[in-house]
Amino acid sequence: MKQETPGATQAEHKQRASPLPDALVSRFAAVVGEAYAISKPEQLRTYESDGLASFRVTPGVVVLPASTEEVIGCVKIAREAGLPIVARGSGTGLSGGALPVPGCVLIGLSRMRKILEIDLENAFMRVQPGVINLDVSKQIGPEGWYYAPDPSSQSVCSIGGNVAENSGGAHCLKYGFTVNHVLGLRMVLYDGSEVDLGGPVLDQPGYDLTGVVVGSEGLLGIVTEVVLRILRKAEATRTFFATFPSTTEAGNAVSAIIASGIVPAAIEMMDTLAIVAAKAATGVDWPEVGAALLMDVDGVIAECDHTSANAIELARKAGALEIRVPKDVAERELMWKGRKSAFAAVGRIARNYLVQDGVIPRSEIALVLQEIAALGRRYGLRVANVFHAGDGNLHPLVLFDAREPGEEKKAEEMSGEILRICLRHGGSITGEHGVGADKAPYMPEMFSADDLETMQLVRCAFDPLGSFNPGKVFPSPRLCGDKPGLYQPHPTELSGEAWRA
Amino acid sequence: MARLTAGSIDEVQALLAQGDRSLLFVGGGTALPPGPPVDLEITTGRLNQVVEYAPADQVVTVECGVTLAQLQGELAKNGQRLALDPPRPAEATLGGIIAASSFGPLRTRYGSVRDLIIGVSILRADGTRAKGGGKVVKTVAGFDLPKLMCGSYGTLAFIATATFRVHPLPEKTVTLRARGGDPLEMVRRVRALQLEPVAMIALGEGAGWDVFIRFEGFGAGVRAQREKLRELEEAEWPGHAEGAVRLRFGALPTQAAQVARALAPLRARLEWLPTLGLGFASCAGIEPEALQRARRELMGLGGWLTAPGDWGPAPASLAVHRSVKKQLDPEHLLAPGRYVV
Repeated sequence: MKQETPGATQAEHKQRASPLPDALVSRFAAVVGEAYAISKPEQLRTYESDGLASFRVTPGVVVLPASTEEVIGCVKIAREAGLPIVARGSGTGLSGGALPVPGCVLIGLSRMRKILEIDLENAFMRVQPGVINLDVSKQIGPEGWYYAPDPSSQSVCSIGGNVAENSGGAHCLKYGFTVNHVLGLRMVLYDGSEVDLGGPVLDQPGYDLTGVVVGSEGLLGIVTEVVLRILRKAEATRTFFATFPSTTEAGNAVSAIIASGIVPAAIEMMDTLAIVAAKAATGVDWPEVGAALLMDVDGVIAECDHTSANAIELARKAGALEIRVPKDVAERELMWKGRKSAFAAVGRIARNYLVQDGVIPRSEIALVLQEIAALGRRYGLRVANVFHAGDGNLHPLVLFDAREPGEEKKAEEMSGEILRICLRHGGSITGEHGVGADKAPYMPEMFSADDLETMQLVRCAFDPLGSFNPGKVFPSPRLCGDKPGLYQPHPTELSGEAWRA
Repeated sequence: MARLTAGSIDEVQALLAQGDRSLLFVGGGTALPPGPPVDLEITTGRLNQVVEYAPADQVVTVECGVTLAQLQGELAKNGQRLALDPPRPAEATLGGIIAASSFGPLRTRYGSVRDLIIGVSILRADGTRAKGGGKVVKTVAGFDLPKLMCGSYGTLAFIATATFRVHPLPEKTVTLRARGGDPLEMVRRVRALQLEPVAMIALGEGAGWDVFIRFEGFGAGVRAQREKLRELEEAEWPGHAEGAVRLRFGALPTQAAQVARALAPLRARLEWLPTLGLGFASCAGIEPEALQRARRELMGLGGWLTAPGDWGPAPASLAVHRSVKKQLDPEHLLAPGRYVV
């Protein structure tokens, strides 16, 4: 959840392990090719972290396979050598899901970016995991189709990473998350075997293992092919931007719109600081008011015209200061650009910041934002809020200056307290960024020991050795019972978990 | 075989903790596959409380024995519904609907129970109580136990309570009928016109199909969509087909004609969801050879066909399914012999 602006360093989460023996690296190179088995320290640095840039761990080796067969080859070598395996897509995740484990094999899937099949009549596409989210929609856009999940990082994040994290986005309020749009998977398991789950023909007999693998954060295996559900574009989209004196009126507007029976495609909120940041970064000419909403409705034209008019009326009644309707596609896109670049934009108004991702019941937005503001006053830190209001998925950004002694620690504490507020309101510690390395310590505050143990049973069913992404999601590892054969050190024993400073 | 009507979830937990009996959990019995006898059947009819309902958040938590009709009645008081329409709502319980992954034509727009469930609390085979998901519409914390329960037929755990996302009831509904229509052509037409039906179903019995299309929402949108298909007549939405045996099948949506040919010898009433490639075949009885032939043909197309208690050949991924079963119910006490595992 931590972001840095350039120039800052945070060394305390950093850890290096000794390099892997050359002979082992050569074995990986024999599978993926010399150029794609990376072991030089200066090259490994590229892979030390994902979007959670303050956590850094050096992997033992990075391999970049080009096919399922090469992934299988790498998994088999790693297993024989007893090395933990971490998969990585584009590395944009914000919870440290693709953070290496010391000495691990990091399997980067960015070379596997083929679109394997497009079948519009049957409404699916089959892609490799390294395909970029936005490229899926670009591929089928000219025919009037698209892929619905739209994380803010969609121009760079990969489908494989989306599958691991069950990524959301602004438009999942109406259309659902990645899991609602993945029909099937091909994956490589811990023993190097390959399995197909689900597929374009729905409901094949058996458990819904596709639904379990999506969002499992790389702990169950390595996905090498994904069957995606694709959608016919809506006839129309209507967008409006509304400003409010404060987040309280904006929150009330959201509640009123939802209560009226409208299901917006997206409804996003920004507070003053987020508006100021978005203006600085993208040049949108938004007024610096207490709060703003950006809302989309989509569907058939007549329905959109009706619902957008109603929603605007409800926003006015809730106290909107000003309503803007974009005059053309370019203006609409600029509005959305302002929203989607808001995280990065905060870098313009603060030296450092932490991105939080918590969920609350949407009817309590106004109340929870007041609590977060009070928390900020108590800690003496500024908080910018930019989030998916329709489904109560908050993204408070805690601003700080790492050069001030103790301020970073204070920010981390406060960010954790925000999660506790979400839990007290019956919510969740993550709506879309995942648990990863960052939030594993908070899992026991949301789930009981028995809940977590039950989830670990599922993990053991897929990966009895705990080879995949050890130390993520679960605060403490669980050994999966007796294993046949020689004793092998558990990957978490090898990794030591010291990196979670 | 003993049978017990559970009075509370705690009582079920105590029974499971004894760990010495094979068990079958029974809801409304509308989708219960046949199978070998068990030591104890636990019926859930008295676990019928709506635990928590927050209309403003469009989220509801129910005990497993709540029937769909009962829940819809509660939700309707606030202008809401669970967007699921499997057969026999007065008997079908939410626990059973999750276990059997039951659905109806509304799946066209809203997905199946896996797309609407957001949280679950379960009792494991040894009585351990665990939960997954949450009470908010969006959460990705932890593994998705709610989805694991969908279509698990009571073989992994006892589904104690479940939390769902609910939707507003539509202001207006119109159903159109195309007699003798081609389901695939109708889907093409709907897509070309960018219409957004909430449900589409093709009914077939012998020769040809009748295709039904339902539009819902605010009046303006429904009227505009109806107008674009003005040659079609308005009709009542058809009920679910009745029959002693109800088969389920799946194939690609474009294979509608081949599917109909493959199933014709069964002389069943077919219900086909043309955008999804899923269907039901209802008939008075079925000859095993006819079933096998139809299944072979569907599998030749890449599809599948199941009859109550007969899942067909094991999926290629069977080892992983078995592994999940082994972790959650190592003694095979839950619904033994009733699923692919």
